[in-house]
Amino acid sequence: MELTAEDRSQLAGDQGEPVALAMRVLTRLGDVYGAERFIPITRAHVVGSSYQICGEAGIAIYERLVAQGARVRVTTTLDPGSIDFDHWRQFAMPEHVAQRQVRLKELLEAMGVVPTWNCTPYYFANVPVFNERVAWSESSAVVFVNSVIGARTNRLAAYVDLCAALTGKMPDFGLYRDEARRGTHLFLLEPGLEERFGMQLYPTLGYLVGQRVGDGVPVIEGLERTPSLDAFKLLGAAMASTGSVAMYHVVGHTPEAPTREAALGGGTPRATWRIDAEEIARAVEERISTAPPGAVDLVALGCPHASLDQLATYARLIAGRRVADSTRLWISTSFMVAELAERAGYLPVLRQAGAEIIVGTCVVNAPLAGWGFRVMATDAGKFAYYAPANLGVKILFLTTEECIEAAVTGQGRRRPA
Amino acid sequence: MIRLAGRGVSRGRVAAEAVVSAQPFGFWQGIDPLTGLVIDRRHDAFGQSLAGKVFVFPYGRGSTGTPGVFLEAVRNGCAPAALVNVVSEPIVAICAILADELLGVTIPVVDALAAEVLARIPTGARVTVDGVAGTIIVE
Repeated sequence: MELTAEDRSQLAGDQGEPVALAMRVLTRLGDVYGAERFIPITRAHVVGSSYQICGEAGIAIYERLVAQGARVRVTTTLDPGSIDFDHWRQFAMPEHVAQRQVRLKELLEAMGVVPTWNCTPYYFANVPVFNERVAWSESSAVVFVNSVIGARTNRLAAYVDLCAALTGKMPDFGLYRDEARRGTHLFLLEPGLEERFGMQLYPTLGYLVGQRVGDGVPVIEGLERTPSLDAFKLLGAAMASTGSVAMYHVVGHTPEAPTREAALGGGTPRATWRIDAEEIARAVEERISTAPPGAVDLVALGCPHASLDQLATYARLIAGRRVADSTRLWISTSFMVAELAERAGYLPVLRQAGAEIIVGTCVVNAPLAGWGFRVMATDAGKFAYYAPANLGVKILFLTTEECIEAAVTGQGRRRPA
Repeated sequence: MIRLAGRGVSRGRVAAEAVVSAQPFGFWQGIDPLTGLVIDRRHDAFGQSLAGKVFVFPYGRGSTGTPGVFLEAVRNGCAPAALVNVVSEPIVAICAILADELLGVTIPVVDALAAEVLARIPTGARVTVDGVAGTIIVE
């Protein structure tokens, strides 16, 4: 990489050891991936926030950085932790994890981060605009800001994101550059899928696309209506779970894809697939679901963290009803959205019905395997992909409406098509 | 003895026994950082220990939390000794760079080797990985 005088001064330690360390890491990364220079970044979102992910190594690394005076220099939000700080006893999260997670929190806060503890920093608190260069981890948030907002970030990883936050820069490679943002694979959708499948289309489509493209940039053509923020969120989160997708285009609906040609950057796709209703229906029942319809003992919603709109929907669907004794209904969100939902009256309705709100973490981040759940119903592709490993459950993938019915009756059933 | 030339991704030189996989691998929920055992039941290396081994796999996949788990394995002394890939995606490369810079443990990484060549390396073979020269030697 070609370094400026300021880069060299930072590498030499003129701004302290944490900045020098971060510059060494970023320079080596840039050299491996062919970057020629550093570019400034304006925001960061870091995933080294969970004790289940970083463990004692994370605490040791952060203790050293804090002792050396590390401070972030851009707005830096935090991914979910491993516990709900206010309700971990309610969910029987182990005490030693809670204690170490609190230690991680103290260390991260000492470096000047904004403690959002959410996977949806793009709702508010950390919202980039089109073309803004940011340094993001959390695969579902990376794919959202690249694809839906048109901000630019690579799919960063734990500690690298913090290196970017400490220096305010990243090596210029990958999705910071136009050429890497061009579509590589084309998916042509049969008309009418949105009417037939509603919101369930998006996580299902994302799940299928991610499995096929690996780390490519898929281009989806054939959606007639612009997906909602929640639909985009579910689409990208599923895609970034089954694949390493960091960006997609939806022709006519995402900012860098006014046309198929623009989305492909004038190039030819490496592969083209057609997706029809039968394939979506089969994926819902056979590929994403690992359990048949029947008894469910956990219904988990809010992946990525539920939006205010989603909490309003859940409250409307369950108002005046009651979660079955044989089942738990757990909804994960951030404390900011929870606070608004409290004031808007949604959380009181949900609590009245027996739903429990998990704040600042979720069923794939928190140590909850001790509950011994057997079958989990969910409406989210990312939960469906990761929950079996963390909880030991089988998955019944349902629509949001079917999930609420499952919570109330204890039985997961699909409505006839 | 076969010598293969690829690209050096992270520095260091090590010789150790190989664990060879034909499948992409994600360290998050893929390795137990307390033992070094592969815990991903969907993976062909399930049940094998990666501790101190040269881990040969086509490319990395999975969570952006990967380096968190990887460095915890390094700290516990049960991370792989070297990584060899067809393509080292940035999340894999960064695991080795961070181990070096943050924990002072050198884990050489070499990529740009053909999948069919890597697949022919037998698990258990002694492999020397040179992350500066970008070469591996299979004995």
